[in-house]
Amino acid sequence: MNLMKYDEHLPDQQLLLDVEGELSPRDEKRVRAHLAGCWKCRARRQELENAITGFVRVYQRESETKLPPVAGPRALLKAQLAQLSATAANGYLGWFTFPRALAWTAALGGLLVLGLFLVRVMREPSRTPIVSIPNSTLTPGATLLVNRPAVCAQENIKNRIVPVALQRRVFEAYGIAGADPRAYEVDYLITPALGGADDIHNLWPHSYSATVWNARVKDALEDRLRDMVCEGSMDLAEAQREIAGNWIAAYKKYFHTDRPLSEHCNRCGE
Amino acid sequence: MSPRFTVSGILPASRAVSANERARRDQLEERVVGLFDQFRDPILRYLSGFGLPLPDCEEVLQEVFLSLFQHLDRGKSQENIRGWLFRVAHNLALKRRYRTLQDIEVQVEAGAGEFAIDPAPNPEDQMVNNQTRQRLLAVVDALPELDRRCLFLRAEGLRYREIAEILNMSLGAVSISLARSLARIARSAER
Repeated sequence: MNLMKYDEHLPDQQLLLDVEGELSPRDEKRVRAHLAGCWKCRARRQELENAITGFVRVYQRESETKLPPVAGPRALLKAQLAQLSATAANGYLGWFTFPRALAWTAALGGLLVLGLFLVRVMREPSRTPIVSIPNSTLTPGATLLVNRPAVCAQENIKNRIVPVALQRRVFEAYGIAGADPRAYEVDYLITPALGGADDIHNLWPHSYSATVWNARVKDALEDRLRDMVCEGSMDLAEAQREIAGNWIAAYKKYFHTDRPLSEHCNRCGE
Repeated sequence: MSPRFTVSGILPASRAVSANERARRDQLEERVVGLFDQFRDPILRYLSGFGLPLPDCEEVLQEVFLSLFQHLDRGKSQENIRGWLFRVAHNLALKRRYRTLQDIEVQVEAGAGEFAIDPAPNPEDQMVNNQTRQRLLAVVDALPELDRRCLFLRAEGLRYREIAEILNMSLGAVSISLARSLARIARSAER
């Protein structure tokens, strides 16, 4: 692996390889020689180590809270292994002579193709689940590095149209690639009017059929939060957090209501 | 009278093979369950980063270890079982995510998207810790998927070469990806 010239600073990649013990002995010697004389690179190396420490702490804690006990899955695995083992021991290969195998393979293949076709045909119309709030794992929200004056100086606060390719990726991420695209609006979680980014982590398929908590209601919340930010009664970061956390709860909080107000939702009575 | 064929001549030998075979399979089952105990948590943690519901992750995990049983039963390579397990888990999770219709109607009342509060006694520390954690989680969530996968696999202790094999990338790409992600995390810590 080529290293930098001796008098240049080390790039992050080289520092990380050194931290990780992934350098060849020759490169390691050169990196160490550079670090011995360069405070800046040593400080940067320490920053990367700190980033690893910080990440690992959070990663472990997040994971610990998620993992269910092992006993149930372990018992299930043992039962499935016993079944699999018994099937194999009963000689699934013994009677499986070549001509018979060929005939069975052809027959099963035909049935499989037919089955897949029928399943596809039958399931296609129903692959339009109602989505009124995004999946926080797929759509945590993403923002640009902008401040309040920049946000409030924007004249056109209408959401930009999301490119078709990006819309397709959103549908795939949500597992509804086969759904009717006309049933959804690919919506920004944090609107660009509040500094939201054109990023897949900030986009989700909002159902048109979600008659109560629909996109129009969310638009009203976005307008309200932007007004509060620009009046100075709310921080931009707080507004972004409110809308990214749970926009329906935020709507209820800032409009002091449990249901969308009639001026925001003319179909809510349906 | 038509001749009668019996299996008495071959039955004892067949039973003897079966008994050996049974013992071999029992050993294999034990070994797979032992590996399950060893790798279940790291693989489940890795799978949970795919955005699949936890029951789906558990199902994928079962599939992984049943595949391992078949893999070993057929006498295939036993070199780097850990890397093999993560690679199969990664591929099965991708298939599951793209093929299965997810239940994405989130229960609003369940408070989705909220972070757990630290059980720290001091409310100020609690707030600072929570803010730091949320900032870091936001940075990680905003990473490109491949960078996140690299980071999670590394956090599970896999070496660069193993990560490269699992994600079908070059070694250089793995180190670039990790350096980029850690630089972002380091930047977020400065704020």
